[in-house]
Amino acid sequence: MIENTRESHLEQIDRWASFVRENPKQWKKSHSKFINAIFDKHQQFKHRLLKTPRGKEKLAELYGITNKEGYEWMKE
Amino acid sequence: MEREISDRNILDTFCEEFCAIVEKHCKYIIVSGFLAIASGRTRGTEDIDMIIERMNQEQFNKLFADLTQENFVCMQSNNPKEVFEYLNENLSVRFTRRNEELPEMEVKFAKDILDAYQLKNRVKLELTGLKVWFSNININVAFKEELLKSPKDLEDARHLRKVYAEMIDEREIKEIKKLIKEYRL
Repeated sequence: MIENTRESHLEQIDRWASFVRENPKQWKKSHSKFINAIFDKHQQFKHRLLKTPRGKEKLAELYGITNKEGYEWMKE
Repeated sequence: MEREISDRNILDTFCEEFCAIVEKHCKYIIVSGFLAIASGRTRGTEDIDMIIERMNQEQFNKLFADLTQENFVCMQSNNPKEVFEYLNENLSVRFTRRNEELPEMEVKFAKDILDAYQLKNRVKLELTGLKVWFSNININVAFKEELLKSPKDLEDARHLRKVYAEMIDEREIKEIKKLIKEYRL
């Protein structure tokens, strides 16, 4: 069962790669929506996290930020 | 290949803006995950990996000042001397836009013959729609299959082999894998 799932995942990678190769002007729009959505979700999460106790410290730890001068949200 | 502005995503814009500044100071390449993503791989990443030519402190200070002026900030420090020390010890440093923790550009100095080879053989890839320099496809496939080897990296290599089938050169991949065994394993 696990092997079948893996195989099907690899087939999906191949299908999408073929689509990209054969449709050089079409793949980018849906791909960009996918990429941007990941960053939108991060922004939403960040705002929620910053409202929680120790939110700032947690965010700085998550991203390994030691330069506090570079980020306004660390100063607030 | 002309693209509409709406095709651009957050990573594309960030990468092009950062590279435009670095380009004025030294040779660079974008390597690994973002190359696969810019070539259509549907997966997320928080950082883009960049290798730059080695330079001295004075040259680096100018690059750092230029990046700072264009609103990029180093996550580790605002002090270019300190940041240069990291790079000089072959450690990576990370830059983001001011006040934004993502996405980030992870920058390293070229450290060995493999990095020199990548810089020498850098390419622009029309399919990405980006005007930035990438490390060539065969080198990326070799690194992902021989050194990195995680499921994500092996899938990236599979995707690159399919998308850039006409660029794949098994002889070059084999040669690079040999160098990886010699210098990195």
